[in-house]
Order: sequence, then C-alpha cells, then structure tokens
Amino acid sequence: MRSSPKRDIKFRLARRFDYESRSAALFILPVMSVLAIVAVFPILYSFYTSFFNLKLTRPHRVPFVWFDNYIKVLSDELFWASVSRTVSFTVMSVAAILVLSLSIAILLNESFRGRRLLSAIILIPWAIPTVANGLLWKWIYDSGFGALNGLLFQLGIIDSYITWLGDSDKTIPLISNSFVWKEVPLAAILILVTMKSIPEDLYRAAKVDGANVFKRFIHITIPSLKPGFMLVMIYETMMAIRHFDLFFLLTEGGPAEASHVVSWQIYVETFRNLSFGTGSAMSYILALVTFALAYFIIRTLGSKL
Amino acid sequence: MKPTTFDARSEIYRNKSQTTARLRNLSIFVFSILLLAYVLGPIAWLLSSSFQTEAEIVSVPPHWIPDEPTLKNFEAIFFSEFEEVTYDTRKKADPVSGGYIPSTAKDLLPSMWNSFLVSIAVVMLNLFVGVPAAYAMAKIRFWGRDGTIYTILTTRVIPDIALVVPFFLVIKNLGLLDHIASLIVTYLAVTVPFTVFILVSFFESLPDELDKAARVDGCSRLQTLNKVFLPLSLPSLVAVMLFAFLTSWNEFLLALMFTQTIASQTLPIIVAGFTSDFTISFSFINAAGVIAVIPPVVLAVMFERYIVSGLTAGAVKG
Repeated sequence: MRSSPKRDIKFRLARRFDYESRSAALFILPVMSVLAIVAVFPILYSFYTSFFNLKLTRPHRVPFVWFDNYIKVLSDELFWASVSRTVSFTVMSVAAILVLSLSIAILLNESFRGRRLLSAIILIPWAIPTVANGLLWKWIYDSGFGALNGLLFQLGIIDSYITWLGDSDKTIPLISNSFVWKEVPLAAILILVTMKSIPEDLYRAAKVDGANVFKRFIHITIPSLKPGFMLVMIYETMMAIRHFDLFFLLTEGGPAEASHVVSWQIYVETFRNLSFGTGSAMSYILALVTFALAYFIIRTLGSKL
Repeated sequence: MKPTTFDARSEIYRNKSQTTARLRNLSIFVFSILLLAYVLGPIAWLLSSSFQTEAEIVSVPPHWIPDEPTLKNFEAIFFSEFEEVTYDTRKKADPVSGGYIPSTAKDLLPSMWNSFLVSIAVVMLNLFVGVPAAYAMAKIRFWGRDGTIYTILTTRVIPDIALVVPFFLVIKNLGLLDHIASLIVTYLAVTVPFTVFILVSFFESLPDELDKAARVDGCSRLQTLNKVFLPLSLPSLVAVMLFAFLTSWNEFLLALMFTQTIASQTLPIIVAGFTSDFTISFSFINAAGVIAVIPPVVLAVMFERYIVSGLTAGAVKG
C-alpha cells in the first residue's frame, strides 16, 4: 500500500503527541490519586459538613442548616477573642522571625572560620520534633524548677521566682518565643540562600560609585532579598496562624482562656464538644483567611518592598 | 605640615582598614557566640537535666551541670522490659519528689520503631509518587499542567487541624484506624506537595536540551527520567527525602488522632503522654526528649549542605 508522506507525518505527530500526554498522565496519576483520596476528598467533605448541624452527641439527626454554622461562629464572642489571640501570636512571631532570620543570614553570609559548622548547628531547632520543643520549653518555663527563673534569679534580674506560662499576660509571648526558636533556622536559611544569589557585580558597581557598606545594604541587599522575604513571610504567617501543637503541649489553651487561639478553638469545638459542623465552619474560615492573607501579602507588599 | 606624602596617606588607610577588619572579626565572633547560646542553650539544658537525679533536678536555683550525673533515666528507657517496677529503688531513696517512672516507659522503643517504619515508608513513597509527577510537570507540556501544580500546592494551604475530621473518616472507612498505614497515607499527602514543588523547580532549572537529546536518541519518557534526570538530581532528592523523613518523624497532630495503642503510636505521642502527667519525674521526661531529638538532629546536621542546595533550587525563584 502506498502511504502519502504527508499523512505519514501527521500520523506520527498524532502518535507522538498521544505518547506525550499518555506518559504525562501516567506519571501524574499516582500523586493525583493519593491526593484525591487523602487531601481533595477530605477538603471537600469538610466543606460539605460545614453546612450541616452535625453533632456526635446527637448522631441521628443531622439537619442541613445553610450558613447557620458560619453565622453562629462569626457571632460568637469567644471566637473573636481567639481570633485576636491568633493575630497577636502571628504578628509577634512573624516579626521576630523576620528580624532574627535576617540577622542570622547576614552573619552567615560573611566568610569566617567555623561558618559551615555554625550553619549546620543552627538547623538543630528546626530538626527536632515539636513535641521535644514543647517539653523543652515547658521545662524551661517551669515556675518551680525551670531554667528561666533560675537564670534570671542568678543574674539578679528577679528577686523571687515568678509564674511564666501560668500568667495570662505572658502566655502568648512565651509560646510565640518557643515557636520562633523552632522556625527561625529554616527562615534564616531561606533568606541566606536568596542573599547568596545576589550577583557580586552589583556590589562592585556600587562600590565604584562610592556607596558605603550601609548604603550598599539598603540599596542592594534589601531590595534583592524581596523574593526570600516574601516566601518567609507567607510561609511563616501560614504556619503561625494554623499552629496547634505548642498550644496543646504547653498550656492546653490555658490558663483559663489565655491561649485559646483559633486552632485550639477548632480542636475544642470538634473533639471536646463533638460539634463537627461548627468545627468545620471555623476551619473553613481559617483556611479562607489564610488564602486571602497570602494573596494580600503578595499583592501589596510584593509590589512595595 | 600636612601628611600629603604617599607613604603617610597609605599608613592612615592601612590603620583604618586594620581597625575595620578587627571590628568586623570581633562582631562576627560576638554574634556567633550569641547565636550559639540561643540555639544550643535550651538543648544543653535538656541534655543536662536528663542526666540529673530526681533530687538534683528540683534544686533551686538549678544545677546547670549535674553534680552526680546518672544514667538511670536512660536505663529506665532501654531496660524497662526487664524490670517490673522500674524506679522502686529510687522511689524509696527519694520519697519527697516521688521519683516516678511511668509504665509507658517500655513503649518508648517500640514507638520509636513505629516512627522509623512510618518515616522510611513515607520517604520511599514520596520518591515513587513525587519524582515522576515532578518530571512530567517540569518537562512535558500537557493540558492542565499549571492547574495540576496549583491543585497540589493548594492542598497545603488548608490547616491540618481543619482536615483531621475528614481524614479520620477516610482512615476509618479504609479500615486503617490504629494501624501505621493510616499515618503513612496521610503523611504522604502532607509531604508530597513540597516534594513535587522542590523537584519541579529543580527539573525546570535543567536545560530542555537534555530532555530533547535523550528523546532523540530513542529514550522513552521513563528512560529519560531514570538515566538522564535522576543522576543529576541527587542533591535535590536527598533534600526532599530529608524533609519527608523529618516531617514524618516529627508529626504530632495526626498521630494523636489516628493512633490508640502501641501497635501504631509514634514517638511524639508517647513522649507527649509523659509531659501531661504531673507525677512523672522531669529528669525522665527530659531523657525521653533527648532520645526523640537525637535521630533528626543527626540527620539534619549530616545533610545540612543538601538542605541548603535543595532549597536553593526551589526557593530562590519563589
């Protein structure tokens, strides 16, 4: 049989294209099926539950309630109190992380003896389990025998041992401190990596133009760090807003309600009050806010910084 | 007379630059010490308290370095199987603080084994599932490519705490409750987006010509991935494996929800169980903490350069 060369090429092209799509689909199939079962389905399902008055204390009557759960949550004073705690926790944590990680990155960007060892050592807090982080700081903050009281007492800063986590004014800052301690290493590495990618030529050109160290830092380093800064800011904001483990490990929401943040509120609502509907609604509000915040940071700060 | 000669001026400059250099070295030194104290101080205190006896740990002000270091706490962890009442002797010796070792002390090693199994499985599955996907997204142009990447990343924006209930239902319907498979599956979903993200950025940074050349030479897609791309991506693969391992080793919330007995409980759960029990001695809790901390810290310090290089590929481009 005679085959026209034109058709032949077309045929082969079609087959080639088919092969490409086929292999792409095959390569992506495993990851997509895993995520479909253990991520996408749960996400959609919890959206679905947020419209029902689902309480495990009353499992046989599950009425569809439209937006009632959302309205209930949003008109709850306790919820807004927990929102303000989450906001203050997030703001103080992210600010501290940015300042500390920038200073650490500046230090590690210099060349000196022991730099490699130092940059390996600073990863330790990042690597340890949150549980260990929790028990470590719980023990440090311990008002009876903890290291913080001991240290301050020996240095003569305080006259007698004081309550730390048990004092509702200090709870959030102290938890934030242990959160920051764990998060700073990764943030510092991210900023350092960005810093290292700044071309050396820029500094040389600026030097030739007569800019001193300080000016070079303001006009070259800071603007060039934008991508790294943005990444750290978005990532750490997301981590801080949703953070749960340390609140569970250090205070369990206490004393009284001093560390009732949104994530803790969700936990209590879902697993102690067994009210899955409102729990899911709260979760969705938290997720949407996280989305919106990430978007806001990218749009506004992204263009200004 | 003004020092206008060349020598005099260079003398001034030399002195000035020497002072600057000294100042620089001094400030580097001071900052390094401060940083070390900040990072290692809490760890050192944990380590020191884990070697203290029941009587010493409750001293006021604290003993920074134990007067009479003891291995009793670690013994209680490693040899608890052989002793029925582990701390009987110490309890008698020190009735005031009631040196008490929980009966769950014997669960620590099995839970560590569980953690290890889960983490290794998650790492393997991450590679198996994540590498082909990342390669396809980086080098094959197909319909819905961007959508796929965004979908994968978006799954991580939803807070874990929001997903616990639906996760729980899925796990229950799969019949995996109190089985380490429940953790493997959920940790895979938690870690794989990051794996894909890092590897996509890395594969994208490799030239397309590599891909084309291999294809022209008659490699199939799978062969191109195996023979050309995988050997080049070792640093990123190590970084990705390390992240997956550490995340699985450290994860707390999901394990808290899905595991009930020592058949599936991981190390963080057992350790957290100690911290909420006020009768347990602090020195023992700290020893358990030390045990939990050692493996991830060793890994992180050993593979530090891979973490940095792995993040370089992914992060800088944002």
